[in-house]
This record gives sequence, structure tokens and C-alpha cells, in this order.
Amino acid sequence: MTDRKPLYLMTPALVWLTAFMVVPCLLILALAFFRRGIYGGIEYTFTMENIALVFDPLYAGIFLKSAWIAGLSATIAVVIGYAAAYAIAAAPSRRQATLLFFAVLPFWSNYLVRTYAWIVMLNREGLVAGIAAWLGYDGELPKMLYTETAVVIGLVYNYLPFVILACYAPLSRLNPEIAEASRDLGGGGWTTFRRVILPMTVPGIATGFVFVFVLSIGNFVTPALLGGGQFQMIGNLVYAQFLTANDWPFGAALSMFLIAIMMGLLTLQTFATERASGARRED
Amino acid sequence: MTESLLSIKGVEKHFGAVRAIDGIDLEIYENEFFALLGASGSGKTTLLRMLAGFEIPDAGQIILDGKDVSRIPPNHRPVNLMFQSYALFPHMSVAQNIAYGLEMEKLPKAQIKSRVDEILDVIQLGHLAKRKPDQLSGGQRQRVALARALVKRPRLLLLDEPLGALDKKLRGEMQLELKRIQHEFGITFIIVTHDQEEALVMADRVAILKDGKLLQSGTPREIYEHPGSRFAADFIGVMNFFPVREVDGKLIAEDGSVIAAGTPLSAGQQGVAAVRPERLSLTIKAENSITGKVVATAYHGLDLQVHLKTPAAPEPILMRLTASDAEARPVAEGDEITVYWAARDTRAFPL
Repeated sequence: MTDRKPLYLMTPALVWLTAFMVVPCLLILALAFFRRGIYGGIEYTFTMENIALVFDPLYAGIFLKSAWIAGLSATIAVVIGYAAAYAIAAAPSRRQATLLFFAVLPFWSNYLVRTYAWIVMLNREGLVAGIAAWLGYDGELPKMLYTETAVVIGLVYNYLPFVILACYAPLSRLNPEIAEASRDLGGGGWTTFRRVILPMTVPGIATGFVFVFVLSIGNFVTPALLGGGQFQMIGNLVYAQFLTANDWPFGAALSMFLIAIMMGLLTLQTFATERASGARRED
Repeated sequence: MTESLLSIKGVEKHFGAVRAIDGIDLEIYENEFFALLGASGSGKTTLLRMLAGFEIPDAGQIILDGKDVSRIPPNHRPVNLMFQSYALFPHMSVAQNIAYGLEMEKLPKAQIKSRVDEILDVIQLGHLAKRKPDQLSGGQRQRVALARALVKRPRLLLLDEPLGALDKKLRGEMQLELKRIQHEFGITFIIVTHDQEEALVMADRVAILKDGKLLQSGTPREIYEHPGSRFAADFIGVMNFFPVREVDGKLIAEDGSVIAAGTPLSAGQQGVAAVRPERLSLTIKAENSITGKVVATAYHGLDLQVHLKTPAAPEPILMRLTASDAEARPVAEGDEITVYWAARDTRAFPL
């Protein structure tokens, strides 16, 4: 009786996920092995061509570029987010909820609106240029909008709240006596951070990093808006295959690789979290 | 034992309007096992944290080895603290936890290893050196925390409620173990505890703190036998109290009976006379006697505890009959009995 109850309770979620997550993924997987019809559509004959095409230097290059952008964004977001989370966790406890509220506040507005806002900020007559002029800078500003930098700024900005929340969790749970113990045993502030606090909060860092990386590598809205079509990320490529090039099988093959990369990272992250939380009890 | 190691001079610490430590003077000697005893909120933990360097006194001095250390940060003091929560590093093994403090001293690797091995022998956990803290029992964790502080060979080792998290039997064993280790290492221990029995059993000297002030300090025997105040008498051990009034050099209880005490009250003063349960006897004719009705008995193995309702005291008084006395003269609920005690075992405190 007690054994079956969880199953009943999970059934709606399982049905939902199976119908709208597992089945579509399997369809995409299957699609990747079929031929593209001459006028779009699908020809149901088996082929490995789509898979091989993913490894074509042109597309592999886009994969690498996407991974680089995602990795850079995740790294920057983790550095900024960890520092913010550390400051929030160190604040008086009655103020922490307020600070967290402000950290996640941007989430309550629309993603597109927030990304469009960056166009206003970064374009030649935009806010950044305005401030530079106001400060007395009258030289030529480097091009900001429609660059790789703009895409990274947009991604970091959008996903930063996730990182703050992910890092805040382990930092706020840290027993303050542990940091004091390190001080007591002769460790300075930096040593205490590097050897005690940082290793103990690796799970939060890993969660934050993987989160930003996974969301960034598949993102197509930010590169389209802030990259201005100057360069493509994997998300844009997949989008193009399905909606403009009408090559569903190749789009499916690209998607499968993207999903595989994400799954691999999530597995690594789970592994890192388990390791950091200490080996399993033997008794 | 005669050389002063630590002088606490007029130390004060305020948190907002709260006077956590309200002017404390204390001398602690080389090689001493010293207990700071107090209820929660007495300031004992604040005082300990000042000795460790986590709080800076608002006034006064903390002098260690003739040097004022009150403003020296914790990582530069020859003082180590064993935390109440043990505060072991969960991502490091037992050996790494213990080695940490020595690595901070930048000692050569070989020396660190030999000192870690040596201390692991002392706490008898050599076979668990590679375990992580969450793979240890509470008692083992406690010993690792002790070893981690001890391995630094501090001038002063502070222990914050070191036995609080252990069960009763283990606590008894660890009390003796801590004393043995303290002797073996010849390091001054200051222990903070709310458990008066623990303080009496382990410490060479005890200081009782109340509301940030030092109430009394002395050897366990002095504190137990000659409490300096009604509070100290009540706080340490069990005490029977009789409200009394001084009339013509005598102490008169509420029911009119006369109680002779070793310490006097001034003329006409209101106060309490106090006597320990183990000083009450059924047989010896002594200066003081009181008759009452047995309202409850409790068998404790070692002794029989008898609760006696008497008109001389508002609360039932307690006496402890040894097993052999209880056998010689059985006492049952409802019996009317007379108990005796000596004037020299009686203390009197003004209200």
C-alpha cells in the first residue's frame, strides 16, 4: 500500500513527460536517420548522411563556436554570480530574502523584452554610447551591438539569477563554525576561502555553470537579436534547418548532438555534486 | 600550576544594549584544567570566543604569556578552539582535517605526517585516517575535533561544550579521557559547559558565570561545599532550602523550628538556610532535626532518594539514603520520619 502510493501520485507527471518529452525526442532521433525529401518533407529511407554531415568542418566549427560562447558566458556568470551569492549569504539574515528577491527580479519580465533592451543599450546611439559621451569621450567607440561580446553579455545577463540562486543555496547552508575553525587553525581569509569554503560549495558552482552552459549553447534568440545574424550558434542552425531550409532530418541530427552534449554535462554535474557531498556512508 | 598563563582583566563585551560580559577578572594557571560554568546566556561562550579571537573585548585586556592578545586575530594566536559543532571539514579525510592546522604553519611534509600519525594514536583512530567525517560516529568525530586542535600544541586549548552531543555513557568515558589527554600533553584546557557535574568531575578549578559576571571561582570542592551565594548553591548540585529569619542570633524557620548554621546572618535579616541532601541522616543525632512526611521515594540503585514534606520548607526536601542505610531502616511513602544534620554542614544566605 505504502509502496504503491508514490506511483499513483507520479502517474500524471509520467504520462505528461512521456507524451510530450520522451516520444518527441524519440521521433527526433528517428528523423535523424531518414533522407530529406526533394521538396522538403521526409523520405523514409535509412541513411547515415545527416550524422556524417554534423562532423563536416563547417558545422563542427559552429558547434565549437557555440560551446566557446556558452563556456565563456557560463564562466563569467559563475564568477559574478558566486560573488553576489557570497555577499547575500554574508548579509544579516533578515535582509537576505530581500536581496534574493532583487536578484531574481529580472525574471518577472519577458525574455525578449529584456534582450531587446540590450539593443537599446548597446547600439551606436544607445545608453552606453551616451554615457561615454557624457563622460567626455568623443572618440570612436568600438562596435558593440551585433558582436560576439554582445551575445555573451546578453547570455550572462539573462542567466545570472540562476547562478546566484544555485550558489546561494550551499553558501547559506555552510556552518559558520567551519570557516571559523579554519581561521582558528591558522588559515588566513583567502586560504580559508580557497581550501574550505570554495570546495564545499562546488556543487552550487557546478549547477550554475552547467545551467548557463546548457541554456546558452542551445539558445537562438539572443544570438539572433544581439549577434544580428553575424554568426550562427547551433540553436540558430537547428532553427534554420526546420523553418527555412526545410531539412528536418539534418535539423534532427544536429538536435540529437546538442541533447547528447547537454546530457553528458548534466551527468558530470551530478557526479561532481555527489563527490563534493562526501562519499556515501558505508554503514 | 602556580605560574599564571592567562590573565583576564576587566573584560567587557556588549552586543547592542546587552552586556554579554560585564567586567570579568580571572587568572588561569599553567597546566590547569579550568571550567567556565554557566547557564545559557551567562556569557561563557562569548568569553571563550574572546579568548579564541573571534570577538574583540570592548574594554579590558586578555594577557597570554605576558602579552596582550585581545586584538590579535584567531589565526595568529597560540590558542585553539574545539567547536561545539566540531566544525570538521566535510570534504577532507580525518588525516587531512588534522594536518590542516600544521600545513598553515608551513611545516615540512614529513614532520606533518609524523605528528598526525602520533596524534591519531593518542585518539586511537589510526585505522580511520582515510575516512570522511560523515563516515564517523559522534564519539569519533568528537575525538577528531580534539586531535585537530591538539596537534597544533597550543598554549591554551579551548573546548566549547565538548561532550554536549554525546550520550550519557560515552560522556562519562570521555570526561576521563579528556583529563588523561590534558595531563599527557601538559596543555592548559579551558572548557565551557552548562553541565555542573561535568565541571566538577573534570576541572581543577571552576568559575561560575551569571549574566556576564563572575559569581565565584574555586576548586570543585570549594564551590560545592562552600557556595558563595544562593544562586551558586542552587546551580551546583542539589540543595535543600529553608526560608529563615534571624532572631537573637538564631535562625528561625517558617514553622518556628531553630536551624543552626555554620555561617551566620546579620541581625533581623531574612534569608535561607541550605543543606545538601547527602548530609541528611536518619540516625546521627546532630544539632539540626526536622520531622516530615515521606511524599515520594525514588530508587536509583546507588541510593534511595526520599522526598520529605515538612512545614519548615515550601518545597519537599530531598535526602539520599545509601543502599545499606535504606536496607537497615526501610522508608516508605506516607511514613513520618525525622532527619538530622550538623550545623557545620549548613550554609545561610541572605535573600
